[in-house]
Amino acid sequence: MRERPAMLATNLKILGVVLATVAFYTLLANMIPQLESEVPEEVAFGGEVTPEELVAAGEQLFTGAGGCTACHGLGARAPNLLTDEKGTGTIGARCGERVPGLTCKEYLHESLVAPGKFVVAGFPAMPDVTRGLTPTQIWTLVAFLEIQGGQVDVTAEDIARAEQASGGGAPAPAPGATAAAPAPAGPPAGASLEPLAILRGSGCFGCHQLGDEGAPVGPPFTGMGTRLTPDRIRRAILEPNADTARGYEAMAGVMPPNFGQQLSAAQLEALVRFLSGLK
Amino acid sequence: MSRRNSSRFGTRARALWLVLAAGAGLLLISALTGGELLAQQASAGREYGSFPRIGSRTAVWIAAEVHLMFAAFVLGVPIFAVMTELIGILGKDERYDRLSKEFTRLLLVAYSATAIWGTVLVFFLTTLYPRVWAHLTEIFELSMWVYAGLFFLESFTLYLYYYGWDRWKYGAAKWWHWTLGILLNVWGTTVMFIANAWLSYMMSPPAAVTPDAAPGGVKLWSAIANATWMPINIHRLIANVVFGGAVVAAYAAYRFLAARTDEERAHYDWMGYVGNFIAISALIILPFAGYWLGREVYAYNQQMGTTMMGGFMSWLWIIQAFLIGVLFLAGNYYLWVGMGRIPGAERFVPYTRWMLLILIAGVIVWATPHTMIASREELEAMGGSHHPFLGVLGLMSAKNTAVNLMILTTFLSFLLYRRANAVPQVSWARTATQVQGVIFVLAATVVTFYGIRGYFVSAIVRIGFSVYQVLAVLFAIVSVTTLDVLMLRGAGSRGAIRWGEMPARSQYALFVLAVTFTWLMGLMGFARSGIRQHWHIWEVMRDRSEWAATPALGYGAQVISVCVLIFLGLIGFVFWLGGLVEKPKLVPEAAEGD
Repeated sequence: MRERPAMLATNLKILGVVLATVAFYTLLANMIPQLESEVPEEVAFGGEVTPEELVAAGEQLFTGAGGCTACHGLGARAPNLLTDEKGTGTIGARCGERVPGLTCKEYLHESLVAPGKFVVAGFPAMPDVTRGLTPTQIWTLVAFLEIQGGQVDVTAEDIARAEQASGGGAPAPAPGATAAAPAPAGPPAGASLEPLAILRGSGCFGCHQLGDEGAPVGPPFTGMGTRLTPDRIRRAILEPNADTARGYEAMAGVMPPNFGQQLSAAQLEALVRFLSGLK
Repeated sequence: MSRRNSSRFGTRARALWLVLAAGAGLLLISALTGGELLAQQASAGREYGSFPRIGSRTAVWIAAEVHLMFAAFVLGVPIFAVMTELIGILGKDERYDRLSKEFTRLLLVAYSATAIWGTVLVFFLTTLYPRVWAHLTEIFELSMWVYAGLFFLESFTLYLYYYGWDRWKYGAAKWWHWTLGILLNVWGTTVMFIANAWLSYMMSPPAAVTPDAAPGGVKLWSAIANATWMPINIHRLIANVVFGGAVVAAYAAYRFLAARTDEERAHYDWMGYVGNFIAISALIILPFAGYWLGREVYAYNQQMGTTMMGGFMSWLWIIQAFLIGVLFLAGNYYLWVGMGRIPGAERFVPYTRWMLLILIAGVIVWATPHTMIASREELEAMGGSHHPFLGVLGLMSAKNTAVNLMILTTFLSFLLYRRANAVPQVSWARTATQVQGVIFVLAATVVTFYGIRGYFVSAIVRIGFSVYQVLAVLFAIVSVTTLDVLMLRGAGSRGAIRWGEMPARSQYALFVLAVTFTWLMGLMGFARSGIRQHWHIWEVMRDRSEWAATPALGYGAQVISVCVLIFLGLIGFVFWLGGLVEKPKLVPEAAEGD
């Protein structure tokens, strides 16, 4: 048949276009930086664990399977930890001063196991890592972060205590099962009854705005007294999941429910009085 | 038709039936024996099987992806087959009826390939991942039986729909026939929704399901109606139409290039145009469904969302932007070349260079990275977390603006194509055209305004701006189209479209479109599944196999390319197979003469 050679050439051209397109996309995908999602390595340490061992394991987790670099270090989604954050230094240099009454180690550990507690203003709360990482892995992260401008004081006892509390090394079964965390001593803002100090110390400005301060994640403090009665404000602090403010339905469940345990009665009432007065 | 041809036709039709029945049978057998296989595996206490050379993960990956590609095709094509059939019925236009039947014929043989790959996938899952399969079957047992039953209904509805075409062609019978097409879609969509429940459960199991929870205690409906189920359903529904349209257009392109008569060439030119129109029209709304899915992923688990957009997968979106850029460029190029066969289109040609400019600028902005995973050294070299210049273009504000302007430009291309040879007869045509122009300018202004404003507000407020941009574009599409339809009622013509007078290079654009859509589907499948990382079921069941680490995009791209080539090779074969049935009708003299 006369048309056969012409059709053969057309077929070869089509094949060429198909193969060239597929090859081009494959090549393109191989030219970009190749990042593999690693599996968090199970780690176990004896009583003689050295800070160097903890830091090495923590670094591996931080830069690899822990997925921490997806937000930290980029400046947009979460505070820089390994590089300077707005003139406050690296995380190891500033962690001891973040929350009055908490040491660097306590602050870092608490930030990991109860991320809703200390939300840095302007950033969303960090995801709960306790379902994916073992208590030992979390402590190695603390050690790695401490060394970024500070000293490592994580000990084998810290790890053993946390593992014991979690039931022996397995990842905690559910969010909120963070009994391993050493509770901070006293209320978040010390014994202060000054409302702004309590709000700042409790990390409230991570989600709520007052004037120019804070982030617009949850309902603003500004004008709260015109919207809510003192009783409703009190309930919103003690049982944040009982009601959800209109327009913030997507944020339901974000606010930590444990302020009732953290604040003293006097602090709670000082806050209610202060917020009711914002008209 | 000669007796020899008639007999050949009958034999081939019977062979086709056999292939179809074998496919359906295989799927049913796999569904019914899955439990038995599972029991055997479970009793042996084995968590994982092993697959030679490529490993278990890649074997399941390939089987799932190729199955999905065929499934997308056989679910997408019936949606527009019933639409074209309806257009044919209402407009009493035989061409649309023939086109619809031809769509369905492509579907017929591809259907058995879907079933065969589905069976391969089930066997791979039961033998290579028995623990995961055990968990899923314990929860979804009932839905799996329903799935198998629906598959039977779908198969036989399809056979009735296709083989009854000529028998139920006129009068009330035609409406009953069309109803069969609707039923086919109902069964097919339900089947997809059920399968989506299984995979979306693996991504976003209900919060109550913990590693210690017994699967038997999980309520079926709570597992089905998980956080990402409906967004995935909707996204896939639209994507299937896009994909089906693109593959049909490539088929038509091949038939166009192989055509021996002008009539045949004209028919396949038209079919290619319809396929491309369907693909690009559905593509325009696909990003909105994608946004919804992305938002639900974030809402379900922030860590998963971050991994998807900013973690080890961050570079994947640059590749995706590039591929979508290719789709927009190739789709528009095909339309612009196609204007050459429309009398009166010359007057719009000067505008195409500006539209090309907007599209290229849009692709460049969309493919600009913002925040990428970088080492400390890279951050220092860059002088911060963002590139000093590119970082500005990489923001979501710039990207949303770029993609919305690209959508508007593509819509304008369609509009010009549609208007090319039309001469409106209504007295208000000039005013309506001016109003259309104002709507376009307004929409572009709203998109650009919120794009710029986004740089001066916080991230949370900025995300909200994308809604206004999308609404402006949707408003423009709906209102301009409505005006156009009303204006062109009873319109005169500057001359008939010269179907078939299309340069061959335009048909290669259709092949590029089909390959790119297929590759993109593979890429997005990798993204969706890969964000689970080392979890079979997110934060419920860990992957403890040697294949737990999610590979980098380079390796992923190789697997995707293999899947694409397997799919295209097989679909080419099944189309050829389907074409055999029709061939004696088309060229009886040539067959006798040879």
